[in-house]
Amino acid sequence: MASLPPIAIPGQRLGPLSTYSAGPGTHVQQSFIYASIAGPVVADLAQPKSQTRPTLRVSRGIPPKDQAGSMPAVPAIASSMMSKPRYNTLPAVDSIVLARVTRVQKRQATISILVVLDESASQSQDQSRTASDNDNVASILTSAANPENHSSTDELRFQALIRKEDVRAVEKDRVVMDEMFRVGDIVRGSVISLGDQSFYYITTARNDLGVVMARSDAGNMMFPVSWKEMRDPVTGTSEQRKVARPF
Amino acid sequence: MADRRRINGPPGGTRPPVFASLQESSTGVANRAQRQRQPAGLRKIFLKTGLIPTASGSSYLEFEPSASLAAARSNPKSLIPPSSALKLACTVHGPKPLPRSAAFSPNLVLTTHVKYAPFAARKRKGHIRDASERDLGVHLETALRGAIIAERWPKSGLDITLTIIEAEDDRWWGDAPDSHDASWGMMNVLAGCITAASAAIADAHIDCLDLVSGGVAALVSDDSNQSASSAPRLMLDIDPAEHRSILSACVVAYMPARDEITELWLKGDSSRAALDKDDGRTGHEALIDGAVDAARGANTVLAEAVRESIARSFTQV
Repeated sequence: MASLPPIAIPGQRLGPLSTYSAGPGTHVQQSFIYASIAGPVVADLAQPKSQTRPTLRVSRGIPPKDQAGSMPAVPAIASSMMSKPRYNTLPAVDSIVLARVTRVQKRQATISILVVLDESASQSQDQSRTASDNDNVASILTSAANPENHSSTDELRFQALIRKEDVRAVEKDRVVMDEMFRVGDIVRGSVISLGDQSFYYITTARNDLGVVMARSDAGNMMFPVSWKEMRDPVTGTSEQRKVARPF
Repeated sequence: MADRRRINGPPGGTRPPVFASLQESSTGVANRAQRQRQPAGLRKIFLKTGLIPTASGSSYLEFEPSASLAAARSNPKSLIPPSSALKLACTVHGPKPLPRSAAFSPNLVLTTHVKYAPFAARKRKGHIRDASERDLGVHLETALRGAIIAERWPKSGLDITLTIIEAEDDRWWGDAPDSHDASWGMMNVLAGCITAASAAIADAHIDCLDLVSGGVAALVSDDSNQSASSAPRLMLDIDPAEHRSILSACVVAYMPARDEITELWLKGDSSRAALDKDDGRTGHEALIDGAVDAARGANTVLAEAVRESIARSFTQV
């Protein structure tokens, strides 16, 4: 069995289908696995008990730590001028997204998807990865604070809907959308459908899903006090939200 | 629509007249550029990705200037450059949501825009894309559509914009347009566009079957005296300014790992090619093979540029 290359470029043959199974970032042609994006090759080892083959994938993000040491040295001038890599992941069914509420109606709330959280990265607890997520949240905050740039950025983001019946799992018929979301809230949700031509469908019907950040009427960041209430630390008033469980 | 309130200059721009006597003069002002490379020799390519930070993927491509252009730059005898070398920039925006009016698409919707900068060619281009630029866009879209795995990106669009900063000439600037004159420079531009767009798409991490690269081959006859053996010869990666007459040319977009051609554009008369006696190919087969060889050459540069872009993205985190 030939050893895997550390970095693959599109069209590079990685291995036979008899040894590996194809994961994200690869495609199969004539029973061989080929890379379809450029990036580090990762072989996810199968569970020892099961009979499945290890899964080959080409990562979009940074390589694991053990491979980072073997990367070819590149002049450091490049690092100063470039920003951090951007992930262009699409929302898929069951992916967790962070989104901003743009419109609240009687039967549904319109949100625009800001970040698609990477499942694998959140499980591996990679330090640099979590740092970049925190940066994302910071940028969300700044954009949420500026209502004037909402319209310009929303056109470039994927739009989604939270229907009234997808807000929470219990007492679905008593949901009042105004008491669940307000415009400008940041919501963590799970994609349930790719939806129609313009909207994805998103649910918050889980304890860990819902509003993660919100500003009060006075414009202060609020903290959660219960699953349906957030409080303004300055004025002390509380407002109703469908709050995500804080971790 | 022309602006009627002001006195406008001519829309196409003007050029100073060049007299035939000047070209014949012995001062060497207007020496025709000569091809210094072997028939199968390719020009060097500069290709770098990630130069435009706001785009999700970008690349910049430049062809090596011909020997006469390099000489004219270091030791200018005339204000008119003898030939030009291709320079272009490519940006990829997306995947991004489709416009609200668009219908549902389970695949990635690809849009390509090719635009010459107004100063790119010897004749100035307008700010609105003309027929040739739209034509190039369609050719480029065909070339890329065969390489991109579109079903991995449902409901999203990808905008690919190419700006030609310096275009290739269609013929030597001193020649009068003649009968078998065509926009040969456009074919070189298309080959460069394909290579650059492929690098930018790889930089944007869009799933592709392979890195697709462009190559050009042409049948040229260079004999100044018509009596000599005037059978046209096959040359790879032509600079149209270096040749007296180009009979036909061919561009391919080629994926070497799969040995597939995604785009083929053949122009002119390829029946009179001077091939070896034992060469059983027809003229256009030889042209296509030559263009594929040129594309293979470009692909080595492309693969290296993509590797560089990956290595760079690791060091910056």
